[in-house]
Amino acid sequence: MKKILIVEDDKTLQEELKNLLNNANYNAVVLDDFLNAKDTILKNNPDLILLDINIPNINGEVLLKQIRNESNVPIIMVTSKDTEIDEVLCMSYGADDYITKPYNPTILLLRVAAIFKRIEQEPEFLKYEDLKIIPRKGIIIKENETIYLSKNEMLILTLLINNRSKIVERETIVTELWDNDEFIDDNTLTVNISRLRNKLRDIGYSDMIETRKNQGYIIL
Amino acid sequence: MKFINYIKDKIITISIKIISLIFLILLLMVLKVSIDGIICCLFIIITTDIFVLLYNYFRKRSFYKNLQINLNLLEEKYLITELIKNPDFLEGKIFYDSLYEINKSFNEKIKDLKYNQEDFKDYIEMWIHEVKIPLSNLILITHNNKSLVDKRFLEQLKRLEDYLDQVLYYARSKDSEKDYLIKEVKLSSVVKQVALKNKDTLLYNKVTLKTKINNETVLTDSKWLEFVLNQLINNCIKYRNTSILSYIEISIKEEEDKTILSIYDNGIGIPTSDINRVFDKTFTGSNGRKGANSTGMGLYISKKLLKKLGHRITIESSFENYTKVNIIFNNNDYYNCLK
Repeated sequence: MKKILIVEDDKTLQEELKNLLNNANYNAVVLDDFLNAKDTILKNNPDLILLDINIPNINGEVLLKQIRNESNVPIIMVTSKDTEIDEVLCMSYGADDYITKPYNPTILLLRVAAIFKRIEQEPEFLKYEDLKIIPRKGIIIKENETIYLSKNEMLILTLLINNRSKIVERETIVTELWDNDEFIDDNTLTVNISRLRNKLRDIGYSDMIETRKNQGYIIL
Repeated sequence: MKFINYIKDKIITISIKIISLIFLILLLMVLKVSIDGIICCLFIIITTDIFVLLYNYFRKRSFYKNLQINLNLLEEKYLITELIKNPDFLEGKIFYDSLYEINKSFNEKIKDLKYNQEDFKDYIEMWIHEVKIPLSNLILITHNNKSLVDKRFLEQLKRLEDYLDQVLYYARSKDSEKDYLIKEVKLSSVVKQVALKNKDTLLYNKVTLKTKINNETVLTDSKWLEFVLNQLINNCIKYRNTSILSYIEISIKEEEDKTILSIYDNGIGIPTSDINRVFDKTFTGSNGRKGANSTGMGLYISKKLLKKLGHRITIESSFENYTKVNIIFNNNDYYNCLK
């Protein structure tokens, strides 16, 4: 399980962020020693850090710089400072992403997932039983057969496979599509899912995507 | 300071002088002074008077002329005391010193006001950042307890956030200093940010968002542009036509010297009588009176911000048909050279 360290001084926000990340199957830890922030953070050895700019004792930007001097751990700045200058500064100090408060929780999770995908060198293709899925080309290969998916269909399929055995809410799927410049509505999602199912049925995977009523979709 | 005006100003002094001269002539005649003697006297008196008059005129003229010329050239007139020399005649000195004192006290007053305003602005900015923390908490709590919390909560939280942003950017638009940063910005990513922000409201109100954007970039501050775009999208949603399928179309047109970002909606439109005033502060118009929570600030602040960034905004509409807002970014050769 990936370990995410939350550097944030507001108690409620700490708790809720922790809940959010734990529910998404991460191991969320809260930093409580702001006096020796840098050392404690590095000792904790997290896989990712969510770092606020306004924290006690030290400025988040300075802390970011200090951590970067010693470690390449991915850092997402989560802050209520929202000027372009702050963002450019943080990115130039080596932050991997910059999200301003108040943020959409689904987006935060998608961004975290995106960073993990990036550092793990997203594989060229995904495997599901005897299917080879190549997202970049938008194709699924089964033995000698190749089927073509649209951008939306591929985004949905990769999201479901990357979260295999977990229910993915419709809300999450819609957000992921919007995050990729596809501003679809609820009906279009339903259409996209049924088209994807039809294509999968053609190669013998008719029940690959299961519906969990009022919850979302799942690939087991 | 024209000589003729100066003479006119001295007309009483000169008249008294002439009357006294007439009395002097009469006196000298009674005293039986010879004509030659009288002429001699008159010559001496008149020439010295003319000399004194001219001397005074030229001495003052150099000071006042300098003052007037500099005053005309100056854009910020209150800086005039910095540009003129302290004159060498008494009235001028009094005038100059008074001007200096008045100016100083005014500058102090203005400095106080400016300080107060900046202080207030800093406080507002700080306060908004503080308030965003409980707001983030509310959003997270709502998200983490979906089954317990009504979905309409999120919509109201979004409204709260929008109003907060409005205050923040209003304060920023007032500031004389710049707290923006111009860089090359991909329009598609700004549109995406705003779309994601409004996703729930758009879906909830069944407004379709269509975009025709490729890889166009403009030179701007992405955060400011995001704010403006958010205001425009909010308007599109607020003033949608509920009896038809609503949609918003965002498109980009690149011309030789400019890039135009257009936001089109098939909403209720703006009456012709209102269209010229939509950018006025607190103007809500007849649409606003229909009760769609108008503050009349959104477009006003947007226009101010865009103006500061050097962009233009135009609006066209057909009542009950559509509204189209264009943001025009000029392609600046200077920046192209710098790139």
